[in-house]
Parts: sequence; structure tokens; C-alpha cells
Amino acid sequence: MTTAASDSATTPEPGAAEVPRPSVTLQVLLSNEFGLAALIAVAVVIFATSLPGFTSPFSLFTLSRQIGIDTMIGLAMMAVIVTGGLDLSVGAIGACAAMFFGFGLEQLGLPLPVAIVFALLLGAGLGAINGITVVRSGVHSFIITLASMSIFFGVMIYLTQAKGFNGLPPGVAAFGRMKLVGPVSVLLVTTLAVCAGLLVLYRFTALGRQMLSAGANARAAELSGIEVGRTLIFCHALTGALAALAGLMLTARTGAAVPSMAGHLGQDWLLPAFLAPVLGGTLLTGGRVSVIGTLLGATFVTVITSGLLLMRVSEFWVQAFLGLMLLAAVLIDKARHTLLRRRGMI
Amino acid sequence: MRNSILKSGLAMLAVAGLASPALAGSDTKVALVPGGPHPYFAAWEQAGKDAMKDFSLAAGDYRVPQKWELSQQSQLLESLLTQGYNAFLIFPGDAVGTNAVVQEIVDNKGIAIATAGCLKDPTPALFCMGTDTGNSAYLGTKELIKAMGGKGRIAHFTGFLVDPNTQLRIDAVKKAADETNGAVTVVQVIADIDAPQPAEEKINAYLAAHAADVDGIVTTAWVPAVTAANSLRKLGDKRIKMVGIDHDEVVIKAIKDGFVNGTMLQNPYGQGYLGSYVLNKLRGGCKLKDDAPWKSNALTKKFVDSGTVFVDASQADNYVDAMRAITKTILANFEKDYMTCS
Amino acid sequence: MRQSLAIRLLDNDWAGPGLISLMAIAVISILQPAFLSPFNILVLLSAIAVNMVVALGQLVIIGVGQMNLALGALGGLVAICFVGAIEVLGVPAPLAIVLGLLIGIVAGMANGVIIARTGISAFIITLASLQIFKGINLGITKAQPFYGVPDSVKQFGNTAVFGSIPWLILPAVLGAFCLWYLFRHLRIGRYILALGGNRQAAELSGIDTTGTVIWAHALSGLFAAAAGMMLVARLQIGQPTIGDDWLISSFAAPVIGGASLSGGHVSVAGTFFGVVIIAIITQALVLFSIDPFVVQIVLGGLILWAVGINRFREWRLSKLAIQGA
Repeated sequence: MTTAASDSATTPEPGAAEVPRPSVTLQVLLSNEFGLAALIAVAVVIFATSLPGFTSPFSLFTLSRQIGIDTMIGLAMMAVIVTGGLDLSVGAIGACAAMFFGFGLEQLGLPLPVAIVFALLLGAGLGAINGITVVRSGVHSFIITLASMSIFFGVMIYLTQAKGFNGLPPGVAAFGRMKLVGPVSVLLVTTLAVCAGLLVLYRFTALGRQMLSAGANARAAELSGIEVGRTLIFCHALTGALAALAGLMLTARTGAAVPSMAGHLGQDWLLPAFLAPVLGGTLLTGGRVSVIGTLLGATFVTVITSGLLLMRVSEFWVQAFLGLMLLAAVLIDKARHTLLRRRGMI
Repeated sequence: MRNSILKSGLAMLAVAGLASPALAGSDTKVALVPGGPHPYFAAWEQAGKDAMKDFSLAAGDYRVPQKWELSQQSQLLESLLTQGYNAFLIFPGDAVGTNAVVQEIVDNKGIAIATAGCLKDPTPALFCMGTDTGNSAYLGTKELIKAMGGKGRIAHFTGFLVDPNTQLRIDAVKKAADETNGAVTVVQVIADIDAPQPAEEKINAYLAAHAADVDGIVTTAWVPAVTAANSLRKLGDKRIKMVGIDHDEVVIKAIKDGFVNGTMLQNPYGQGYLGSYVLNKLRGGCKLKDDAPWKSNALTKKFVDSGTVFVDASQADNYVDAMRAITKTILANFEKDYMTCS
Repeated sequence: MRQSLAIRLLDNDWAGPGLISLMAIAVISILQPAFLSPFNILVLLSAIAVNMVVALGQLVIIGVGQMNLALGALGGLVAICFVGAIEVLGVPAPLAIVLGLLIGIVAGMANGVIIARTGISAFIITLASLQIFKGINLGITKAQPFYGVPDSVKQFGNTAVFGSIPWLILPAVLGAFCLWYLFRHLRIGRYILALGGNRQAAELSGIDTTGTVIWAHALSGLFAAAAGMMLVARLQIGQPTIGDDWLISSFAAPVIGGASLSGGHVSVAGTFFGVVIIAIITQALVLFSIDPFVVQIVLGGLILWAVGINRFREWRLSKLAIQGA
């Protein structure tokens, strides 16, 4: 569990020294990640014992696949939240990359690895366009990506005339159905690998640390010699690449590249994109990320949703219960936090 | 429709109810799954219950994804499969994208029929039963052209462009207009207006500027039909002819009051009821014939039309009976025409 | 340093968006004279009225440095409760309006209380309450609209006071004026902005932060409720999907109007022009019969164009200021 605590990569802030530094165990117990992990454990135990079918191989497989995809969408947003900005166009970028992937395979006859690389590059490129525009114009990323969401998606719809590509090589769909280690979807394994990569990036590389300090306090970072503008563009490009990867994973799951996979303008992704990182402790104001937290956040939401569906809550009330459980979860977590802190202070 | 107590009561009744001897103890658990919450599918709930009672199904449940999202529908279908449902009527959230989850159903010994909308071939779904969306738009436009006296300019209001059916509808309306050799032209297509507020803003803005430039309106999605009917009523305009889609109260009332000429009715109840019947038969050992009189449309070669009718003011009061009659006709001949049962 | 009147005018938050609105109106009305027809102005003003109230609901929360994701879900819930109360329970329309506003205030307060008391991010809390409100909405309606909107309400949503001024403008103007007055002259308004500007400083200066946050959310709920019921009047039908698409536009208008997403800085007039710009863009796409497959591209381009003009104004302004200095 110590890894969970040390994962929260934060730059030291002047305001952080408000309480006497707690012990390492307390730090772990206080961490967002620990709270989420505990909640997930409780939910899994309850569902596994009370809902037949929850632990069936098929259910575990679909669960792991969903976690893999939602985490990836969350990571994409997380990479730009670092800067204190956001990217409304993640869904549009994901859909663009997936459609380009389908086009490359079906119309251009590209080999699979080449098509994947091109799709990821396209995603990174679109993200970089966002980043450059934000940095150059000085306009908030909300407005820029609101416009680019419309433009990226619009160009895609115009070029494809909303027709999907369903003649992909069978390998793509097979990948979406592939299981590694028991019932665990290969998509989740992919996501875990990306998580590991991002952990290394934010903790051990200069670029990652620059991203964090530029996000925490741009002026201070500038003074300490970081090229803030270039760093922000990198963040946006990373978001684009991760969104593209999420788009490819969805394509594998669907076995086809369809323009509707992220909904109208890609807006269906916005909820999972923000939910996972913010639940996991990523600050919307920037400067702090939690890769593991994002993974746990997506896991929590997926597990709860799956449990509610299996419980057969009357169909139209599912959403209300989901909201209540979410509220209960954050309140319980808060109570735990307060309790621990009070104990720790004594 | 809003009474869930009645629902559980009916379910108990159905369990204890008369079981037809041939099918007693059927283990067919049918799930009727639309693409998301939408008034069009409300009739599926009753259809599922009626089918459960009439054909002694183990279940005939209407289960709705919380949101109109492809991933939500997939998640729900996967969950239903885990819960032991083995026969599915699915309105595809995406004509191509939903194939993957249907494949999963088939892999897990379930069967599925694409219902109300079709899946694109090649598809693991057994066949498609529903409204031929393209054809319905085509026929509706033909009726509109007739009402316009064979000439004039048409505006077409439709749904989300990400839905492949939208393209089919746009093409079909254009085709009907092109067949008049230039007497009728489609001057405007407004899409992406499945939500009420944008629909209201765009349709009103269009009519405000161009009401004098159009002679007819065809709508091929639920919300635009409701909104356009309301707009014409507000304008008090009976010169512009309009053909809508579906059976929203607002549209039916506008037909009775003469603001709308008619609507292309679909058959949601029949889709749910017939679909459940066929699924149960197929699980009971019947096989679909390859040489059955399948129709073909832009998406699939195995299509069964659940009926669309043009309803004008003369039938606005008894359209339900018209659809019931069509459902009965299809039901009477389905086994003979489409299946071989040992 | 003395500034000329022109520079002082241009220095306002609303100057840029206002200028863009005027330019857009001029260009469009030259190209398409029907744009200024009385009926079109009526249509445009009605759309602006509803979207303005929606934007105000978000503006309060932006002011306090938070986000209210549940705005649309609450508006939708109030909308169907409003029509449902009339249709199913037979409540008279005026009473139903009061009931609707009360639901809005109470639900907003609930958000505010939880956020202020726990200190959990408003983003998470309103995300959860979004699900709850929308879920209750679907649970009640099963996605079926309520049709029993009384004629008086329909009249209100679809007729003009005189000429091209729709009745719907009334609540929008009232709401905008009250909010402007609140931010300008009332203690609670100053507290909201102080809290949004610098939380620590606000706490140190003895502002009741809990109360301020609760008030802001109650106000936001009130606006959401009003907008929901205005839409019912406009659409003449109690659609369960009302509010589903408010999220992005509710942020876009204030931000185009110069509000800072980090809080403490808002402009009611700027928000108004933000709403106007969005409404004009939406209309222009329809008026010029643009191919539906290109609509989204043009929409995005126009947003960038509006942003660009605004940046150009600020750039000119800073140059002028330097010259003047």
C-alpha cells in the first residue's frame, strides 16, 4: 500500500505545511487511494456474496474490460488536468483517431502496427494543436477545446459521412475479446502498462516533473527555468495520444470503428473522463496527479454500476442510485479522513 | 404506463396464468433493450408482458440503459447476459458498433434479433425486424409530395448524424424528391436536433427566415416532429404541408387540427410482441428458413418489416387498431413463412 | 494616467463580446435581411432569454470559484415536477411555479450544504447530484413526456409583450438585474466574489464561507428551476430531456463574457453578450442553409473567430495603453 501513497506526485506547496507532518502509516491511511481501495474492497465483497453472477468469469471479464477503457479515458483527461486546464475534445480526438485507424486498415491497407502508430500520432497531433492554440492565444483551454471539439468531430463526420468501418482485420475484434491471466481482459492489461509508464513519467523524468510544476505554479516554474509553454503543449499532446489509445481500445471492443462510439461530438466521454481522475484525487486546479487514483476511481464507478445493474434496481432508477452511492462513497471517505486526522493529531 | 405496482401484479399474474400446453415451462428469458430512455419504446414494456403471458415465457422484461450511450447499452446487455437472459430484442445503439456485444451474446448461447432498427451485415443477429427507416422516410416524403400537389420545396428535419440511419433518411428523402424530375427540391436538411431545446431554436429560426420559401416539411425523428408540429401551430400556418413520424400526442393532435398532414407510424408494440414470440419459437427448436421472403434494405439482407403506415386525419383516432391488425397478420403467417419447426 | 473614454469603454469585460455581437448582427442582416424580421427577433430573443437564465445559474457558481454540473439535471427535474404537479396532482399553475422554484432552491441548498460542510470538491458533489436528479426524473417519467401544460403557461412561452419582445424576456431581465445588483451592491455578492477570488483571504477577513457557498448554490438552483419552467412554457411540453444539453453552453457564455473559471471575477453584461453570440451563431448556421455535415466545423470556427476578435481587442488595448503611458 505504500506505493499508493507515494504515487501521488505533488510538488511541494507553501500551504502544505499547515499541519505537523503525520507519520508514514497515517499518510497512507489518509490517502485518497487507500480510501478508494477500501471502498472498492467493501463493494466487491458485498456484491460477490449477495449477487450470483458477479464473480462469473464472463462478468469479471466485462468488468475488467470496462475498467481498462474508462481508466484510459480518465488518464487522457488527467494528463491535461495537470496543467490546471481541461480538454473537452478528448472524445472527439478518440473518435477521430479510431476512424482514421479504421480508414487506414480498410481503405489504405496499412499493416496493423503502422495503423496503430499513425492513429496515436494523429491523436497526439490533434492534442498538440489544442496545446499550441491555448498557449499562443492565452485563452482558457475550456473555450479552445470547446471549439476544437466541434471542429475535429465535424471534419471527421464530414469526411466519413458518418459511415463506420466494419471490415477491419479479425485480429482487432479478437484483441477486444482476448483474455490474459484468467478472465482479465487484455485491454485492462494494456491500461495497466500505460499506468506504469505514466507513473515513471511523472515521478522519474524531468519532463514529468516539469509538467507538474508548470501546472502547480506557472510563474514559479518559468522563473526556475522551465519552458512552460512547451511543457503545456506536451501535456495536451499526451492527452491526445491517450485519448487516441482509448479510441483504439473501444474499436477493439466494438470490432469496428464507428463515429458514434463517443456520442455526439464525443461528449459521452466527458463524464468518465473527469470522474475517474477527480475521484482519484487529481486536483482540477492542476499540479497534482494520481495515476493509481484514476485507476481506482474508474474501478470504483465500474464496480458500482455493474453491481446496480445485477441487483436489478428498477431500470429507470439505476442512475439515481448510482448518484446516491457516489455521494455516500465520498461522504464516507471524508468521514474516514476526518476521523483519522483527528486521531493522528492527538 | 407509469404504474410499477401494476407491473409487478401483472408479472405475478403472468407466472400463475394460463400456460399453453405446447410451450409449458419455456425457459426463454427475453430482454427487450432499447438504445436508451425514449418515449418510442414505451410500448415495449407492455409488449414484453403480454408476450410473457401469451407464450408462457420465463421472462419478458423491458430493460432500459440509463443513458442513450453505446457503452451504457453494452454494459447493460453484458449484465443481462450474466443475469441469465438468453433471448434479446435489441434496438442497436449503433448499426455497426452493437454487433460486437451481440456476438458476445451468441458466444454465450444467447440469441438476438435487431429490433426497430437494423444491424449492418455481417451480423450475428438472427435477423432484423423493424421499420425500414429509409423506406419509411421515402414513403413519408411521397405522401408529402402528394399533399403539396406534386411540386414545391421541402425542408427535412432529422436526428443525430452519428446515427447511420440519419444518412439513410437524408438519402431517402432526396430520392423521393429527385423522382419528381425537379418539380420538388429539398432545400434544407437540419440534423443533430434530437434534443428539444436545440430543435426548438433551430426549427423556429429556420421558419422565421424561410417560412415563405418552403412548401413542405418532412421530419424523420421524434423530437423534430414534435417541435415542427408545435411551430406550425404557433405560426398558424396551414399552407406549409408537413409529414411527421411516430405517435407523439402533439403530432397526432396537430394532425386532427389540420396543422400536420400525417405521420409515418411505426409499430413498437408489434416489434416487441412478435420479436418475443419468434425468439421463443427459435429457442424451442424452430429454425429460420434461408429461402424465406426476407426483404433487404440498406443495412441487411434479412429484414422483416414490422409495418409502417401513413396516418392522416381520418385515422388519427384509431391508429392503434390499425397497428394491432398488422401485428396479427404478421403473427399469423410468420411460422409458415419464415420458420421450419419440427 | 488619463484614459480616453473609448479606451475605458473597451476595457470592460463585455466590450469585446458586445462588439462581436454587433458585428455579427450587422453582417448577417446584410446577407440575410430576414434575420431582422419581427418574427425572427422574437425567436432569437426567446432563445436568448432561456439561455441567459441558464448561464446566470452557472455564473453564480463560477463566481464562487466552483462548478455546478447538476444545473441541467436540476432544471429538467423541476420542469417535469412542474408539469407533473399540474397534470397529475391538479395543482394550479401559479402554485406549481412556486413549488418548482422551491424545489430548485432546496436542491441547490442541499448541494451547497454538502459542499460547504464537507469541503469536498463541488465538481464531485454536483456530479453525484446530477445523477440523482436525472435518475429521479427518469424514475418519475420513465422517459415519457408530460403533456398537460396549461394554456396560460404555453401563452407565456410563445407570445410577445408587444412587437418582438417575448414574455420570456421578463424573468431573464429580472434575473440578470437582480444578479448584477447582488454582485454590485449586496454583501452576499461581495462575499461570493471574495471567496472565489481568494479563499484564504476571505476566511481570514471573517467572511462566513459556509453560508456564502450555500447561498450561491441556492441561487443557482433557483435559476436552474426558472430556466427549466421557462423551457416548458417555450416547448409546450414537459420533456424529461430538458436540461441535458445545458452543461457546456452554461459555461461557454460566462467564459466568453470574460468570467474567470477560477472564480472571483464575473460579468453579468459580458455573460449576456456571450449568450447572444452563441444564439446568433446557432441561428446563422440555420439561416444560411449550411450542409448539416459541415455545421459542426463552422460552429467551431466561429467560436474561435469570436475568441480571436476578443484577443485582438485586448492586444490593441494594451498597445494603446502603452502608447498613452
